[in-house]
Amino acid sequence: MEVPADLEARIDEAITHYPVSRRSAVLPVLHLLQHHFRYITEESVAWTAAKLGLEPIQVLEVVTFYPGFRQTAPGKVHVRVCRTLACAMAGSYELLEKFCQASGIDREAINHHHPIGVSPDGKYSIEFVECLASCGTAPVCLVEDDLHEKVDPAAVDKVLAQYS
Amino acid sequence: MSQDISPSTAFIDGKPFLFQSGETILNVVDRHLGRGHVPTLCDAPQLEPYGACRVCSVEVALQDGGPRRVVASCHTPMAPGMHIFTETQKVRRLRKNIVELVLTDHPLDCLTCEVNGNCELQTVAAKVGIRKVRYPEGENHLDRKKDLSHPYMTSDLSKCINCSRCVRACDEIQGQHVLSMHGRGFNARIIKGMDTTFEESPCVSCGACSQACPTSAISDVFMSKSIEATNKTRTVCTYCGVGCNLTVATKGNEVLSIQAPVDAEVNHAHTCLKGRFAFKFYNHKDRLRKPLIRQPDGAFKEATWDEAYEHIVTNLKRIIAANGPQAVAGISSARCTNEENYLMQKFIRHVVGTNNIDCCARVCHSPTAWGMQKSFGTGAATNSFEDIGYTKCIMVIGANPTEGHPVTGARLKQAVMKGTPLIVIDPRRIEIVPYAKYHLQLRPGTNVALLNMMARFILDEGLVKKDFVEKRCENWEEFEAGLRSLDMDALEKITGVDKELVRAAAIEYASSEAAMSFHGLGVTEHEQGAKTVMLISNLAMMTGNIGRPGVGVNPLRGQNNVQGAADMGCQPHQGAGYFEMNDIQVQKRYSEFYGTNTPSEPGWKIPQMFDNAIAGNLKALWLMGEDVVQTDPDAHHVRHAMDSLEFLVVQEIFMTETAKYADVILPAASFLEKSGTFTNAERRVQRVNAAVKPLEGTKPDGQIMCEIIQRFGHPQADYTPDGVLAEIAQIVPFFKGATWENLGEQGKQWPIREGGVDTQIMHVEQFARGKGHFHFFNWQESTELKTNGTEFPFILTTGRILEHYNCGTMTRRTGNSEIVAKDLLAINPADARAKSINTGDTVKLFSARGEVELEASVTDEVKPGILYTTFHFPENMVNNVTGQGCDADTLCPEYKVVAADIVKVS
Ligand code: SF4
Ligand code: SF4
Ligand code: SF4
Ligand code: FES
Ligand code: FES
Repeated sequence: MEVPADLEARIDEAITHYPVSRRSAVLPVLHLLQHHFRYITEESVAWTAAKLGLEPIQVLEVVTFYPGFRQTAPGKVHVRVCRTLACAMAGSYELLEKFCQASGIDREAINHHHPIGVSPDGKYSIEFVECLASCGTAPVCLVEDDLHEKVDPAAVDKVLAQYS
Repeated sequence: MSQDISPSTAFIDGKPFLFQSGETILNVVDRHLGRGHVPTLCDAPQLEPYGACRVCSVEVALQDGGPRRVVASCHTPMAPGMHIFTETQKVRRLRKNIVELVLTDHPLDCLTCEVNGNCELQTVAAKVGIRKVRYPEGENHLDRKKDLSHPYMTSDLSKCINCSRCVRACDEIQGQHVLSMHGRGFNARIIKGMDTTFEESPCVSCGACSQACPTSAISDVFMSKSIEATNKTRTVCTYCGVGCNLTVATKGNEVLSIQAPVDAEVNHAHTCLKGRFAFKFYNHKDRLRKPLIRQPDGAFKEATWDEAYEHIVTNLKRIIAANGPQAVAGISSARCTNEENYLMQKFIRHVVGTNNIDCCARVCHSPTAWGMQKSFGTGAATNSFEDIGYTKCIMVIGANPTEGHPVTGARLKQAVMKGTPLIVIDPRRIEIVPYAKYHLQLRPGTNVALLNMMARFILDEGLVKKDFVEKRCENWEEFEAGLRSLDMDALEKITGVDKELVRAAAIEYASSEAAMSFHGLGVTEHEQGAKTVMLISNLAMMTGNIGRPGVGVNPLRGQNNVQGAADMGCQPHQGAGYFEMNDIQVQKRYSEFYGTNTPSEPGWKIPQMFDNAIAGNLKALWLMGEDVVQTDPDAHHVRHAMDSLEFLVVQEIFMTETAKYADVILPAASFLEKSGTFTNAERRVQRVNAAVKPLEGTKPDGQIMCEIIQRFGHPQADYTPDGVLAEIAQIVPFFKGATWENLGEQGKQWPIREGGVDTQIMHVEQFARGKGHFHFFNWQESTELKTNGTEFPFILTTGRILEHYNCGTMTRRTGNSEIVAKDLLAINPADARAKSINTGDTVKLFSARGEVELEASVTDEVKPGILYTTFHFPENMVNNVTGQGCDADTLCPEYKVVAADIVKVS
């Protein structure tokens, strides 16, 4: 695993925000690594532990606790569909299904144990997530880092087309 | 209703109770109403409050009649005037429902479970009144597989209730961070290492998690939580100077398992794998069970005890008559009890009539005893393990506490993880180094140079505590002048440690409010060993780090009773109680006490005994529990000495390398089979209680000594631990107030004054010798390196590992051998490359004395030019290579500096 110098510099800077306990810096370091590598590998866990002077298990427990950290590779375009109350009532389950259909992902394979589905061609991945803090514009989804609001389930093709 | 509410009163179910600030509700309920009155699941007395399961819920009102809230009692602090309700309808329902939910994911096969009858979940379920779970069977984890990969640790996580006690035990007690909770919610599960087995994980098998686990989810191969084990004996571990208290579970005359008492001041429910698991040696088939007498044809023949005793008495009397008592010597064992050591030296001195008595302290901490006596007046730790909790700076010199003294090591690690700065002075990057603020990685054999540098920097930085030095110490001027004469650049080169790093460490130590040093054999087993001890004492004195909590000079004594063996007089120059044997008054006192003449001729130390055996002056030697051939340096020389003896008696539990040379072997009993006392590294005299009867045919060493004294026609009562202790208390001043009864379960730290008042911290008002004495010494290159360093360019240094105990006679006969089965030679990668050696290769290690073959382990834990190994295995016989160099003052062998070389064999 090669951590580019500029990423490492950003990580080092992030760590300075946690002068009391290096353990607290685990989250920001992992976020930066995931953003760059797209998911957290065992190597990233070991790298983070070494960086912070922790045992790898102290990083792994954090990675596995937060569903926001992915331990497997997502697709090239990662879609997070909100499933919490407001969005659910506004049709997010349908939205998820449409996304699955449009990208060829098996809806049945997405469940509590496997929250992320990846399309067979590896192009897309879809995750059902908790509230994205935009309940007023439900249903919403995040495609990569972009928030899409009041998404019409019928229009998912258009949304995905922006990322091809 | 008006009641007088003093600040520390609260009400539990309407009744007033006292509490101390900092206590939780559960602490107070437990103390007054008994543990279990309020049920708990995630709480354990040896762990920090956690508050996860809520089974301990109680209702609380901040004032009488005030609104009530449900809180988890285990982590809610007490407040004055609080009203606590432990049995309301509401908390009962809540508790019951919680436990019911837990049970929905727990197998209901209690009857076949190993902890049936001693399971906390079972107890709590009964307590909250569950007869039947109301919820339907849902998704669960009952199909989880058992992990039986490890020689000691086991798991069956289908029984896990996710209380995290195991994780916290591993983090808070052992500090190993092996376990954790993986995932979240329903998927949460305990993992080991990076989600692997116990065997593959970095687990050090301390067993803390197993003891903490409320169910059988994590357990051990001895099933220590099973109710089979109802008969329990509290005793003390035999494996190191920490002196952990153990609870030994037995059935009939069989030891089933061992746990650690939660209330033990020394170890608080903790042990290492040696104390908890390495007990199977005790009834191993190899145990000696009959006295053996060597026949004229050289073979051993079984004999009765009477025959063996008679043979011994006849031969010893013959040798004494022909050559005088000086031709006889005894070596006692720091593994044996105080009583046994006392009796052994009584026999040699006052029955045989010679000062030729020594013990294995010679080869480990004799320089500590000698050096600290010179500096302070007492050769023992100044402070207690408990002080690790108060100290503000820890300095570890030439000791590897996490391996050599694991429970103290874990305690040190905990303190350091909580922020106490640590200075490590050691040639190797030992396990605790990553936690250290400073690692001064010096070349072996340069302790004096390095400590002198530290002292000089303390002087230069103006950090000397002048008051303390003036009021309490002497000879400062000479010491100061010595320090001023040092050439710091030259010392920097000698030690190989950047002097700015030394300066920073010196400042850290000297400017701390309370700095505490610990040292081990890396200090003593050198040509300048005793001098190094005195320099450590100097550092403590010049910075005023003596006589208060959290300070002092604290030798980590190696063997379980090495402190006691010296206290009891098992050294040639000092009798029981450290009285100088060349003092006529002392001789008179002993003669009156024992009703025999006291020898006045100086006795021999162990290395001198060997030399004199070879020279023909020493004819008979009596060894109690010592394998000198395997453990003493330069094994060829030791063998030669054994061969030269006319008569050798060995009291042993196994046929050791040394016993093979004996004329008579007496089968002794192990620590599990006898009673007496051990004195740990913090001067704590603790009761050892027999858990089982001696194996058939064997006798405890104390009984053997009493019987032999009787057979020599000297008045001697039969052995009883309390009887011998009472005799010791009459002759050893610092045992004056010790009685078998008042030692109780926790033991007492000597000096023990009349009435049983003991001493946690020494030298509080003044030093035992009056004034603390400063000594100055210049560093000297070891003779070994001066003589052989050119021909053998590497420096070999030796040590020990966690899993094995010295010559391994006991630990090699336990599951520990499945964990580590050989000695390894650590080689720096640069040296390995130059010699084309890879990890796993067989390497010949040779020195001016001999050669051995070892497996290489290429690692940068040693610097280039340095080699490191252990000497636990007779197959390897590392002591064929070590030399006869020794501490100039005490003849403690220089195991830590050997000029050696290596070559690849395959
Ligand atoms: S046995 Fe000790 S080191 Fe191993 S997992 Fe349990 S607590 Fe941790
Ligand atoms: S293994 Fe035991 S101690 Fe650890 S979480 Fe499970 S039940 Fe609790
Ligand atoms: S730390 Fe020492 S006394 Fe304690 S269990 Fe281990 S070997 Fe025994
Ligand atoms: S519920 Fe979907 S954004 Fe809050
Ligand atoms: S025992 Fe208090 S919350 Fe578990």
